[in-house]
Formats: sequence, C-alpha cells, structure tokens
Amino acid sequence: MASTDTKPPKPEEKKDEERKLTPTAEIKINIAFIERAVAELEPRFTHRVLRSLTALRKRTNDKVLRDAIEENYPAESTVKAKLLSWLPPATEAEMDIDSTVQPESTLPPKPTFDPVPEVEIYLRLLIIHYFHTSKENYAKSIQLSSETVDKMLALNRRSMDPIAAKIWFAVERSYELGGELADARPLFLAAQRTAALRHDDDTQASLINRLLRSYLHYNLYDQADKLVSKTTFPISASSPQFARYHYFLGRIKAVQLNYTTAHTNLQAAIRRAPPAKTAPGFYQAVHKLFVVVELLMGDIPDRSIFRHPVLEKALAAYFDIVKVIQLSAVRTGSLSEFQATLTKHATQFEADKTYTLIVRLRQNVIKTGIRRLSLSYSRISLRDICLKLHLDSEEDAEYIVGKAIRDGVIDGRIIHEKGWMECEGRKNGYGPDVSEVYMRRISYCMDLHNQSVKAMRYPLDAHRKELAAAEGARERERELAKEIQEGDLDEDDDGLGGF
Amino acid sequence: MASRQLQTLYKDLQRAFDARPTDLKKCGILLAQLKISLVETGLLLPNGDASLNDMVIARDILEIGAFWSIRAKDVPAFDRYFSQLHTFYTDYSLPPSKREFPLRGLNLIRLLIQNRIADFHTTLESLPLPADEINLNPYIRHPVNLERWLMEGSYSKVWNAREEAPAEEYKFFVDSLMGTIRNEIASCEEVAYESLPIKDVATLLFFSSQSELLKYAQERGWQVDLSAGLIRFARKNDEQMEIPKQKLIAANLAYARELEQIV
Repeated sequence: MASTDTKPPKPEEKKDEERKLTPTAEIKINIAFIERAVAELEPRFTHRVLRSLTALRKRTNDKVLRDAIEENYPAESTVKAKLLSWLPPATEAEMDIDSTVQPESTLPPKPTFDPVPEVEIYLRLLIIHYFHTSKENYAKSIQLSSETVDKMLALNRRSMDPIAAKIWFAVERSYELGGELADARPLFLAAQRTAALRHDDDTQASLINRLLRSYLHYNLYDQADKLVSKTTFPISASSPQFARYHYFLGRIKAVQLNYTTAHTNLQAAIRRAPPAKTAPGFYQAVHKLFVVVELLMGDIPDRSIFRHPVLEKALAAYFDIVKVIQLSAVRTGSLSEFQATLTKHATQFEADKTYTLIVRLRQNVIKTGIRRLSLSYSRISLRDICLKLHLDSEEDAEYIVGKAIRDGVIDGRIIHEKGWMECEGRKNGYGPDVSEVYMRRISYCMDLHNQSVKAMRYPLDAHRKELAAAEGARERERELAKEIQEGDLDEDDDGLGGF
Repeated sequence: MASRQLQTLYKDLQRAFDARPTDLKKCGILLAQLKISLVETGLLLPNGDASLNDMVIARDILEIGAFWSIRAKDVPAFDRYFSQLHTFYTDYSLPPSKREFPLRGLNLIRLLIQNRIADFHTTLESLPLPADEINLNPYIRHPVNLERWLMEGSYSKVWNAREEAPAEEYKFFVDSLMGTIRNEIASCEEVAYESLPIKDVATLLFFSSQSELLKYAQERGWQVDLSAGLIRFARKNDEQMEIPKQKLIAANLAYARELEQIV
C-alpha cells in the first residue's frame, strides 16, 4: 500500500491543527485516514473522516477539490482524469500558478500509486456535495451519483460500506434537488436488497431511511408500513440513522392511530438526535410531531419545550393548540376556539404534514373536557355537559359520555332515568399494574446499562500489552516476594543474631 | 391497439351498465369476459407501453366493475377491483376520471365499516388532495365526517346522515354501517348503565320495534325483565383482583440477579 508509511497524525495533534488547516490539507489528512482504515480493517477511521464531512462540505469549492485530486493522484492516473472531468476546467490564471509553482516546490511529493478506490469514492462524494450548492449543477450531480453508484456496486468492497452509506444520502439529495425523488426509488430498492444480502449494515440503514423518506414524502404510508414490517433495521446502525428511523416510524404509527408506539419512537428519536444546535431542522420536526402525538394521547406536553430557544418560534402554532386544549372544560366554547386556531395556522400544519393529525384532536378536546368534568363533579346532568362542551344535543352528550366510559377515559356511569352522570372516586393507586409499570422502568434501566456495556470499545490486540504488563508485574512480584523472603531471612538472622 | 373483441364487449358493458334498471347478471358475465381479454391484451396490469386510449378503456371497465360489485353486494370483489384501479389512478398520468373520487370515498366507507380505522387513516393521508380540500369534496367529506362522529361518539349524527349519501352506491353500505354503530352503542351501554328501560334502549339503538330489540338483546346476552320493563346489563369488571405472586417473585429474582452482575 502506498500509504502505510505516511502515518496520519495522532488525533490530539489533529484537533489543534484543524483550525488552521486549509480544506485541501484536511482532505489529504482524511484520505490518509481512509487508507489506514482500509489497511487495518478498522472502520473507525473512516467513520471519523465522515464525521467531519458536514463541516468540510461548507468549505469546499472547485479549486479545493481540484487541488485535492491533483495532490493525491499520480499525474498519469486515469482515475484522476475522470474525476477532474467532472469539475469545471481551471481558469487561465490558476493554471499558470499551478504550472509554475508545482515543479519548483517539491515539498508535496507526488504519489506514484493510485490510492485505494475508497478514496476515489470519497472524492466523488465531496464533488456531489459540491454540486448540490448551485442550481445549474443539479443535473450533473444526478449523473455523477448514478455513475458512482454503479462503480460502488461493481467494486463491492466491505471497507467501502461507511462511505457508500453517505453516497446514498447524497444520491437521494441529488434526485430531490433535481425534482425526481420518486425516480430514485427503484434504485434504492435494488440496492437495499443487495446491501441486506451482503450484511452491509451501514448502507442498509441509510437505504431504509432513504426509502421511508421517499414514501412519506409522497404520503405513501401503506408502502412505508410494509417496508418497515418486511425489513429489520440493523442494530449496529449509527445514532443519526436510528434517530431518523425512529422519526419515520413515529410518523407512520401516528397516522395509524397507534399513538403509544408513535410516542415511544419519537422519544427515542429525540434522544438519539444530534444536539439541537447542530441539527435544528430535525429537532424541530421531531418535536412538532411529538407535541401532536402527546396531545392525541391526552397528555399536555411539557411547557419547557415551547420555551426552548431552538423550538420557540417553530412550535408557536402548536403552542396555541395546546393552550386551547388546556382551556377546554375550564372555559366554555373551547371547541369553536379550537376550530378557529386550526384555520388560523392551517397553512403551517399543512406544510408540516400534521394537519390531519391535528384535526383528530377535535375529539380529544371533547375527551379532555369530559375527563375534567368527571374529576370536578361527582354528579352532573347531561344537559350541563352538553352546554359546557358545546355539543349539539343532549342525545349526543349521552352517547359521547357512554363511549368515554367504555374507552376508559372516565370512571362512572349514566343514570338514564334522572339524566345525569355519576362519577366514581379515583381508583387507589396500588395493584398489579403498579408492579408492571415498575417492571417496565427497571427493565429499561437494565437494558440501558447492558447496552452501554456492549457499546464499549476495545482496540484490537490491546489485551496483549496488558497481558505482557501483567506478566511483568507478576515477575516483579515474584522477585519482590523472593527478596522479602530473603530479607526476612536476613532480618531473622539479624534478629537472631542480635537476640 | 385494443382488440376488436374488447371494443365490442366494452360497448356492450357500457350499454348494460347504463340501462335502468341495470342488468346485473349480464354485466357480471360481460365483466368476466372483458377481464380475460384485458389480460390477453396486457392491459389489466399495464407495463407502461400501452397507449393512453387503451388504458382509459381498461380503467373504465374496472370502474364499472367496482360499481357493479357494490350493486351486486359483493364487497371482496369491490376490494379486488379497487386495488387494480389504484395503479391506474396513481402511477399513470391519465386524464382524470369523474368516477375516481366516488370510488375512493366508497373504499373509505368500506374500511370504516370493517373497523379498519388505521387503514382508513393511511388511505386518507395518501389521497391526492391537499388536506383542506377534503372538506370540499362531497365524496370524501362524507366518510371523513362519519369517521369523526363515530370516534367522538355522536352516533345520532351518523344515524341522521345515513340518507345524505352523495352517490347511489353509498346507500348499500348504510345497512352494514348501522350494524357497526349499533354494536358500538351496545358495548357502550353495557358498561355505562346498570339497567335501562326497554323503551329507551330501543330509541338509543335505533330499533323501531320491540321484537327486533328482544332478538338483539338475546344475541348480546342481556337480561330482559319484561315485567319491570327493564334490561339489565351484567357487569363484567367486578371480579376480585388477584396478586400475581409468581410473576412478582420471578421479577424480584431477576432484579437481584441483574444487580449482582452490575456490582
């Protein structure tokens, strides 16, 4: 391998250097990392490179990319020519500088080998991301991504998997920007099958998310649900992928009225999501849905969510809805108020794709109302319920209360002859369900603990050193023991002598 | 180009379907023949190389088939026709059909009656309509309102809306819809009341005669007290709660073991 002798700098050094580095130099370091990852079969290094992708992406331009390619490939390389052909040709002035400076300064030694194919794919990834920055390049990015995908599949190298996962993300973005997201779906489906067969977890996770996103973009909840039931999401997938997956699941489940599952999934998505400041878009999107699902479950979301600096503005419309629901049964006319709030923010809800979910909240306004009434009155006439909740008729009120009792929203019964509802006191909080809740929480904690134990990393062969150290220690101990023994004897002798 | 045989059969079908009253039997025979010739010409599941005109004809045939199956009270057949039509509606850019939304609405009602609420909502989400236009489309608005009332518990509104069907075929579902809500109401009453006068049960369940009610009460196992004029509902949830000893012991042992592992 060409690279094994050019050892990449240690991470500690790199951190300090990073701020000063030009993008080209950073790409060079990254390439060294990739080569090392391939040479040592250690995907960790590749992951490190990919982590810096977002930051690096913003600093690249065609000059940076061109320089990076020039520097890392030998002059007569065909791969280089191909990569360069995607970039716009250098302007005259740049060319001059390049040709005059390069021969004189022999400092960056020209590599004589082509680097590993992973590097080529990595550079392609950077180029695709660069194409995404300007509109006129969208068509080119689609072309390049499909070519890259073909290449990836032909090469079929396991060490390429982490980069491949990122490539698929870039492919999706290319198609989306080019306005033909649906066209990419057959491509994804085929690739997903291949990835599953090759146990390529990174790519599989990335592709499942791509597919789900594509389905949900076109409101194809049915297909999305089937995809979820037919595939297993790889456990070893990275956190951001998991966060996305949970978010998509949450959306599907919410539409299917399975709010409890939706709630758990969204919670997982929030926990796994990158910090609010780095990925505000995702954070906001998850919270929007989370608030709605929580309301649908009959809970009132925590107020502090709405004061979060990242969320405050985005969730303003949702906060209005929460306020209306909280006021229901306290103030009369909440149903009409709910309708008014809904129409006021309709366009935003529409854009967030939460409109239909929020429409479902109407029945929750009624439910919350009935629950509040049942808590505050031990006996209330159906007529009063009807007036307080703005229902159309007493007859309706009777049916609605009956349904609420059956669904377990309230504990009570209707005395039909007298036309009132009687509410029983609260059930005492002790029973088998308490131990069940306890069990659930404990097992969650246990699971978390076990997962973290499993997630600990042990570098390869590190235990050898430890073994050697232990061996040395034992050796020393033995010597010590021997010395003590001898010393003891000496001392004893001395003592005896002295005695 | 669609074969000549297909064309003539299609014309026959149109004539038979538009005739009043519709000759259901003849339509059925024609549809069976048409489906065979559709398969022969590769139009039943088009591969994308069929001409636009042929696809419109195929879609028309399937649409008539869907309506026919409802008139013939054959819900599984409707299900089949509708899923075949789905490709025509979503995957090809054909000129819009005026029967599309009535059929979509019928499909929604079918899901509602079979109590597939989750499917109902996924189907609703995937409608090619912006969300605020759902309330403007009479065919879609009807099932959406029905679902909302059912979920709220405003059963009397559902009852009153049964005559407001936007299309002839919707009425076919009314009877089964009434059956669904009757069961819903009955299950509510069992929990919400201890006893009810027979007369009131009849009005609550929308029964017009007492004999119908008595038969229904027997089906659900209610105690009818004719002398007092009352129906008593057996309470089910008054059983004594037992402490699941085994489960608790097992859980506690498991905690102890895990603790041991951690410490």
